[in-house]
Amino acid sequence: MLLPRFQYEAPVTVAEACSQLKEYGDKAKVLAGGTDLLVNMKKKLLAPERIISLNRIEGLKEMEAVDGGDLAVGSLCTAAELADSSLIRERIMVLAEGAGRLGSPLIRNRATIGGNLVTARPASDLAPPLLVLDARLVLTGPEGERKLAVSDFFLGPGQTRIRGDEVLTRLMIPKAAHPGAGAYIKLGTRKAMEISIVNVASYLEMAGDGSLTQVRIALGAVAPVPFLAASASQKILGARPKGPEDPLFREAAREAAREAKPISDHRGSAEYRRAMVEVLTYRTLKAAYERLRAVI
Amino acid sequence: MKKAITLKVNGRDYDLMVPTNRTLTQVLREDLGLTGTKQGCETGDCGSCTVLMDGKPVNSCLVLAVEAEGCAILTIEGLAEDGKLHPLQEAFVRHGAIQCGFCTPGMILSAKALLDRNPFPDAKEIRTALSGNLCRCTGYQKIVEAVEAAAQGGKTDG
Repeated sequence: MLLPRFQYEAPVTVAEACSQLKEYGDKAKVLAGGTDLLVNMKKKLLAPERIISLNRIEGLKEMEAVDGGDLAVGSLCTAAELADSSLIRERIMVLAEGAGRLGSPLIRNRATIGGNLVTARPASDLAPPLLVLDARLVLTGPEGERKLAVSDFFLGPGQTRIRGDEVLTRLMIPKAAHPGAGAYIKLGTRKAMEISIVNVASYLEMAGDGSLTQVRIALGAVAPVPFLAASASQKILGARPKGPEDPLFREAAREAAREAKPISDHRGSAEYRRAMVEVLTYRTLKAAYERLRAVI
Repeated sequence: MKKAITLKVNGRDYDLMVPTNRTLTQVLREDLGLTGTKQGCETGDCGSCTVLMDGKPVNSCLVLAVEAEGCAILTIEGLAEDGKLHPLQEAFVRHGAIQCGFCTPGMILSAKALLDRNPFPDAKEIRTALSGNLCRCTGYQKIVEAVEAAAQGGKTDG
């Protein structure tokens, strides 16, 4: 299985990458980790004339807390780096969980957070955690940077709002206003190299009086794009759950199942997926609540 | 399109002119003759092409050779020292963890990366670390036992 021929570019600055993207347009593809792009090229699904590698650009692999406590994550950070980072594990475990379930250890050492978002697969392991964390993408183009919420980024399978001459350079994860915790669960038939049948991430923030000041639930593999189940979140926003098994969590889970728009395919039927959305939403809410209670 | 690169493999520098569309697996096997790295599925699913890049296990079939420049590459050929097998290799032999042998180089390199990071893993950690490496003889139990034995200093009886 040979790779088709292509011209290889390895710009050393983002500006250089943008100008090459602008020049070559649709004939170019951006290479980050390559775990998706190179497979598609070997399978002859893609045959770009030019590959523009981001891997020689400095500064896209950084992960740091910035002014005001937001977290900046460079787009070339690998899934393994996210899963193992103490900064991520301490502050946003839900993202480490998603990253730790992506592909296999071998894939995780190459696959990048930026690549996982730009490929825009409905079953992405990183999109649901980033959705519930209200992450922003920083897209850098010839005219400068713009920010976009992850929830506004996906248009359809493989389709996003990134422009042809833009590079996804980093993710900004806002600091929580109140103590928060989340959880991610992926349902598959194997533990590695699996494409989710359904995946769910939930995230809660709690004020001193025990009320939930922030609730986000994201569903993957049950619609053309991963999305926030807004009406399920509304069911519990502001409530004061009495414990991890509060019936309110069940009610939100039922609502999430109503919001899902699954299809039937060889991985699972629509009915099964919808039923699993309810189960996984409940379990992630319960786990997030338990984690939250452990820290406050 | 070809590009001149210097590839550091098993501690030795190789100056090469490589077509940009060649994978690291192809260059290791065909240009350097290091056929211990196997070419299996070629799409990152099987792990038989595993090599360590700066100590981390990766599917070399999904790495362009030109992108491996500047990294220290370790293949199965680089493990033995002065004709003496690495403790993991010894353990695989002693515990019957090798059947057809096709997955073995990848299994051993993934296991080495694990033990370098976590010298005393439990069976679950070993299975997770090897989850990107398929053994179609399905001899997983003996492979896990071999890694456990190597972690304990290779001193347990097989």
